[in-house]
Amino acid sequence: MDCFLKLNKIALSLSNLRLNSSKYVSIIRSTSYRPICLTAANRDLTEFFDDKKNWGAQEVKSGRSWTKDELRIKSNADLHKLWYILLKERNMLLTMEEESKQQVRLFPSPERLDKIADSMENLECVVRERNRAYHELETGETGERPGKLTTGVFGLKYYQRMCEHVIPKFMNTKWNEKRKEYHFDKDVEQFLLKYREKLYLQKRRKQARDFNHVIGLLNRFPNMDMEVLKQHYPDVDIKKAKNSRKYGGHFAPK
Amino acid sequence: MSTRWYPIYQKGNPQLRVFLPNFWMKLVRPVIKQPPNVVQFSCSMEMTKHDIKNYLEKIYNVKCVDVRTRIHMPKTRLEPTFGYVIKDDDVKYAYVTLPKGEEFQFPDLFELDQTKKDEEANQEKALKQSQESYDKFLEKNKERENMPGWFSV
Repeated sequence: MDCFLKLNKIALSLSNLRLNSSKYVSIIRSTSYRPICLTAANRDLTEFFDDKKNWGAQEVKSGRSWTKDELRIKSNADLHKLWYILLKERNMLLTMEEESKQQVRLFPSPERLDKIADSMENLECVVRERNRAYHELETGETGERPGKLTTGVFGLKYYQRMCEHVIPKFMNTKWNEKRKEYHFDKDVEQFLLKYREKLYLQKRRKQARDFNHVIGLLNRFPNMDMEVLKQHYPDVDIKKAKNSRKYGGHFAPK
Repeated sequence: MSTRWYPIYQKGNPQLRVFLPNFWMKLVRPVIKQPPNVVQFSCSMEMTKHDIKNYLEKIYNVKCVDVRTRIHMPKTRLEPTFGYVIKDDDVKYAYVTLPKGEEFQFPDLFELDQTKKDEEANQEKALKQSQESYDKFLEKNKERENMPGWFSV
């Protein structure tokens, strides 16, 4: 569970965390817990640097990142603490990376940064899941940032993420200037016609390409699993491909 | 204190709180010499001075008296083959003043040069191995002098 964190010796632990409210302390005391990390807390600027024994090392061993399933069974308070641990770890790694770059030295095990990013992404995803569940239960809405498909000045659709404004829409001249809605325009219609033609041709060429490729596959691997082929190329009619003149190879029948 | 989207604050609403801040901060070695109680950071571009102060005080428990920031534009350079202009990303630097009496010295991270030691050890090992193999070769060919090296069973 806590392999990555344990190995990395992040300078915080559940027990050592400074807890301002007595409520949290009582929760932790009442239940059995495992520390998220094992090193003593020293909250100062030294936290921006790695453990002293890793300075100038060729390799720093670390575990894997936190998965979503592991995070789902954690309480909100635990996730909150873990977020700060990950944040500090990321800052530490970024600092070490920068210094290594400046000194033209090796930054050991750069995959740690990816693992941290992965963990943070997973954690945020889990928090968002909970948020959505709560909102749907309470209000019947997801509570996510609202958005809608709008048509821009050039007639192309894009997803507009909406946000709140202090001024009502009709008074907000600046916003209205920035986001002009599409009204009929001869030139734009011409552009759209050509644009759609381009898209259509792209699509048709892809279909033809896939069709020919499937015939090639059938020629080379006649005992192939047809179900898998269908899954990979859902647009291709395999029966039609087998009727094609290209199917069957170049042998002459006796 | 994060790059995420928050509902607009209306007077009378409860205070907006950031539960999962996603800003980053790097402690960097200052290029220009600073007073002993000034620490240089590079941080997320969206961070304000208040954000930096709160970030350090709340998360790292580091008291800061003053925060100054600047946005550094790196020098542009030409791409060697095609000659177009390349500009790296801008960096936001923060100069944080610690309270009077506190000092911070950027540590020498590569004092203990593990790489050099390892290299030396490797070289020694290789030398020893080649010596041993040569000895073995001599031992093998002791009986048959004046024979070419490739002549064997």
